[in-house]
Amino acid sequence: MDRSVAPLDCLGSSTEQCVAVQQILCRHPGVRQAAVVQHGGGLVALVVPDEAYLDDTLGRSNANAVALAKWQKTYDLNQSTKAAASAPPGFNTLGWDSSYTRRPLPPEDMREWVDVTVADILRLQSRTIYEIGCGTGMLLIRIAPHCDRYIAVDFSHAVLCRVREQLRSMPSVAERVELMERTADNFDGLAPASFDAVVINSAAQYFPNLTYLTRVLENAARCVRPGGHIFVGDVRSLPLLPAFAASVELFQAADDVDLAELRNRISRRLRHTPELVLSPAYFLTLTHRFPGISRVEIQLRSGRSDNEMTRYRCNAVLHVGRGEEPSCEVPFRRWSEDGCTLPEIPSRLQRQNQTFGISHIPNARIEKDILALEILGTADPAWTAASLRREVKQAATCGIHPQDLLDLGAPNSGFQVRLSWAASRRDGTFDALFVPGSTLERCPSAAFRWPEPEPSSFVHLANAPGQTRLRAELTERIIAHCRENLPQSFVPDRVVLVDSIPQTADALAVCEQFQGFEAK
Amino acid sequence: MTEKADIRKFIQDLLTSNDDRRPLADDDSLLLSGRLQSIDGVEIVLFLEEHYGIDFAEIGFDRDQIDSIDSIYALSQTTATRT
Repeated sequence: MDRSVAPLDCLGSSTEQCVAVQQILCRHPGVRQAAVVQHGGGLVALVVPDEAYLDDTLGRSNANAVALAKWQKTYDLNQSTKAAASAPPGFNTLGWDSSYTRRPLPPEDMREWVDVTVADILRLQSRTIYEIGCGTGMLLIRIAPHCDRYIAVDFSHAVLCRVREQLRSMPSVAERVELMERTADNFDGLAPASFDAVVINSAAQYFPNLTYLTRVLENAARCVRPGGHIFVGDVRSLPLLPAFAASVELFQAADDVDLAELRNRISRRLRHTPELVLSPAYFLTLTHRFPGISRVEIQLRSGRSDNEMTRYRCNAVLHVGRGEEPSCEVPFRRWSEDGCTLPEIPSRLQRQNQTFGISHIPNARIEKDILALEILGTADPAWTAASLRREVKQAATCGIHPQDLLDLGAPNSGFQVRLSWAASRRDGTFDALFVPGSTLERCPSAAFRWPEPEPSSFVHLANAPGQTRLRAELTERIIAHCRENLPQSFVPDRVVLVDSIPQTADALAVCEQFQGFEAK
Repeated sequence: MTEKADIRKFIQDLLTSNDDRRPLADDDSLLLSGRLQSIDGVEIVLFLEEHYGIDFAEIGFDRDQIDSIDSIYALSQTTATRT
């Protein structure tokens, strides 16, 4: 078991006090790694919990089983509604409700969502696919005709019954499809390297925790042949979760709700988010963990619809390696420094005829949400939701719509546009690459090097849905352990649970950044 | 404790577990208002299945049926009458 103490110098505090506290922390069986920082006149302990302790001693394994059973029941119930029974074939969207309106998402939004997702997966040119969490079959009905073999699994019996009903009227699709009722972590009977792609679309958010997801991806990487892909689509973004929560609460708040109450509601939404929300940075760590995964792309979702999927979700495409892949260094300039405007980009590409990148592009889809979150942090608490909405509405905007950039790379444009959220920034800015056709001809699978996340992005890789009490219990036990073994003045004021110990001096920022995710 | 009081206590415990201690009237919306999320709706369904023997696979599920204390109570009584 790795129970190392993080190097103190890296965290900007090298006092004997911190050393003593770290040593005591690491003796607790629930602590895998620990570091201590001085913050606000006291000590804050950053702790990576021990997985086995969470699972076995604090009962996370049981909690996971209960959470999975609840999601399964949710899907079963959705399919026992009258609306599900009369849903058109290939378009059963029961359960797809807007977090803002709590009503079903508009059909036109769902149609675009299906179309762009299918296009993204077809672009991988997979002939054999294993889909985890196929739901009502909206993807498989459209993708299976392009495949030789399509295995689709789901944990909901009722959902699979609906898919079977639909396939009865589609014999040419049905003959390529095999349905299996099983959980995502069950890979029994699958041979290594037996699929071109594993698809996990809009399903990872129902996995109970990061450890479960990692286990699924490790198995998926084993099942995909070299040169194939794992497509993890429609992933909820952790760096943007505060902005998302703020935008939903502001949308729903009555005009006279004051900002203090609005902040409470946002904080509550963050603490009680029932779904697994992931940092894009998590996927970048997989190339180090699993040698089979050679490269990771984090794509913004395409589309013109304005909804929580286009605003706050991304796709992670994991490339299963054939070995060394070419890697291209590309010059990136910040959008604010580049001086380039949207209409000038095509002529610049024709003039230069070389790949160039622009980073930190303000995102028109969510710039108002980001602004609302910023104002919430500083505005007078006596302000109301109405005054905040007015302020945001009147603010000048400078964002670029990601689809406007993608449209520049239309089929006959002579170049491609690729967008990335790999940098995992909390302001929602994204990065773009403009690649001339000549480059693509020379190097069609070139692995372009994207701007990377700040080191602090790796400290929190996911939320911990349904574990508020369990994690509060762990922090209480750790504090009690410190009280028993340390002088009172050495006992940390706060324990922050993290996914990894920061390797740079920004641990203090981490303490501030993630308070909302911890139990209170 | 009456059946409605049982239901009220169950719902209030559910809200408390989500840090929601705001007042709750019997006809206040729970799910459509956003005070409870869909996964909390499952807790209500399990409660009704266990305490009142309601089989949603048989009667069909409708979120409105469990959206307030009043509607949950009405559902429990309808089913009790039928059985």
